[in-house]
Amino acid sequence: MGEMEELRKEADNLKDQITEARKVVQDTTLQEAVAGTTLVGRVQLKTRKTLRGHLAKIYAMHWGTDTKLCVSASQDGKLIVWDTLTTNKVNAIPLKSSWVMTCAYAPSGNMVACGGLDNMCSIYNLKGKDGNVKVMRELAAHTGYLSCCRFLSDSEIITSSGDCTCILWDIETGTEKTIFAGHLGDCMSLAVSPDFKMFISGACDFTAKLWDIREATCRQTFSGHESDINAIGFFPNGNAVITGSDDATCKLYDLRADQELITYQDSGIMCGVTSLAPSLSGRLLLAGYDDFNVNIWDMLKAERVGVLAGHDNRVSCIGVSSDGMACCTGSWDSFLKIWN
Amino acid sequence: MSSPTPAEDEVPAIQTGPKGVINDWRKFKCEDQDTPPSKKALLRQISNPQSDDIHDRLNRKMSVQEYEMIAEEDEKGLRKYRKQCMKEMHERFSFGPTFDSVVELDNGEAFLEVIEKEHRLTLVVVHIYKDGVKGCEALNSCLDCLATEYPSIKFCRIEAAATGAGERFSDDVLPAMLVYKAGELLGNFLSMTQHLSEEFFAADIEAFLNEYGLLPEKEFVACPDEEEAAGVEVE
Repeated sequence: MGEMEELRKEADNLKDQITEARKVVQDTTLQEAVAGTTLVGRVQLKTRKTLRGHLAKIYAMHWGTDTKLCVSASQDGKLIVWDTLTTNKVNAIPLKSSWVMTCAYAPSGNMVACGGLDNMCSIYNLKGKDGNVKVMRELAAHTGYLSCCRFLSDSEIITSSGDCTCILWDIETGTEKTIFAGHLGDCMSLAVSPDFKMFISGACDFTAKLWDIREATCRQTFSGHESDINAIGFFPNGNAVITGSDDATCKLYDLRADQELITYQDSGIMCGVTSLAPSLSGRLLLAGYDDFNVNIWDMLKAERVGVLAGHDNRVSCIGVSSDGMACCTGSWDSFLKIWN
Repeated sequence: MSSPTPAEDEVPAIQTGPKGVINDWRKFKCEDQDTPPSKKALLRQISNPQSDDIHDRLNRKMSVQEYEMIAEEDEKGLRKYRKQCMKEMHERFSFGPTFDSVVELDNGEAFLEVIEKEHRLTLVVVHIYKDGVKGCEALNSCLDCLATEYPSIKFCRIEAAATGAGERFSDDVLPAMLVYKAGELLGNFLSMTQHLSEEFFAADIEAFLNEYGLLPEKEFVACPDEEEAAGVEVE
């Protein structure tokens, strides 16, 4: 019993040290720093294209790095790769399971991946020799649902799962390279840093963790949310992390100061955030809520400056292209729309 | 404030993201004929956050028993379920009062009332006009037309001077269209004529509002044509 007391004291001591260290580096607040900045004017986005072809609710979408193609996953059990300029379907891939939670486009454009309630991450080769799209690998090791996956390259992919872990896979051999354990609740989302050296994960233990991919360690843990973190993303310059939670708020955490900078909340918003995407400059944050609305926030002033889709309550997922020129939304009525 | 419809009472916890998928799956299993009643009872108990062991379930979203239930699913049952899902969503977000013509607002109070007091699902489009300013008369007739085509939207118009904020609505920003929903300003379009050609019609205003995602679907198709999508072409 004595040893437990010792350990508990040590843990509390360390927590106090961290809190102190954070206080020391906090020389100002974000609000003070941007006091002289004017609020961004009202943002009103227009639909430029509508992508039709799915037969059911769109669960997830991800832009390709060429900013022209994107992939979407739907309850109809299909992955569709779209050319967003012509609205043509480049590939329509039937899936074994209809309960797909995530999809990802490889930076090279050669592969797409998806996963969901089947606990597996399926990798598809888009550039097969005979022109057909086939399953290249089925990465199975997670004991829980696959909530998110992101490619590092054509040979590595990171997945987050309802089994509370994240895994770095070797696609070639189909085996786990590193298992990132530490979260105490289902991992709901992950995002890779712009330099591909780190990744962040948000989980149902109300915390977000920053992991070093090569060293396989958890570098930092961010708390403050009062409920599950459903969505997570890097601030475009890689120095900050944005999280979206069931507590109806989004938070911005600075990596170097190791603390929260600001919370994006409004007394009128009472439902959880389930997806988020910052604009290229990082000035705007598009946050998708579980009532199918999307709010656009001025990230510096922490005020809402618009809504996407005129509040018609249809958006189930969002993504901003890497050149910042457009955002794509998926809907419960099977359509995807491109906006800017 | 109108009383909530039955559909609103049964709103599932989360509908988007991975939790949305879990929710949808649970709902499907509960409604699927092939699921044994004991399993249905288990699912209902799990998705109802009143259980005593809530502390244990706090961090884990799916139980061991549920993972075991995920097996080969019946495609036909799934297809029916998807159609039903979309139909339910559509009904949930379409219920609300209807209108048949453009309402003339007489003063600032009427303006505020229409913005703040309408049903939370009703889209309110207000046209601020002034007699003699180019485009106002044309826009008024366009809205008269759209009011009959979109009965769920409350179209209104008010003379700039009557708003009580006449200085803000000088001739050069008229005609102006403001769009509200649930007390929130969704769209603010000043000098509408700059977005339109010399001669414009109801269809042009309709297309304009559609671009900003402000108009509801006119006709709802529960599910896009199955045969059409089966023959999806690949480039």
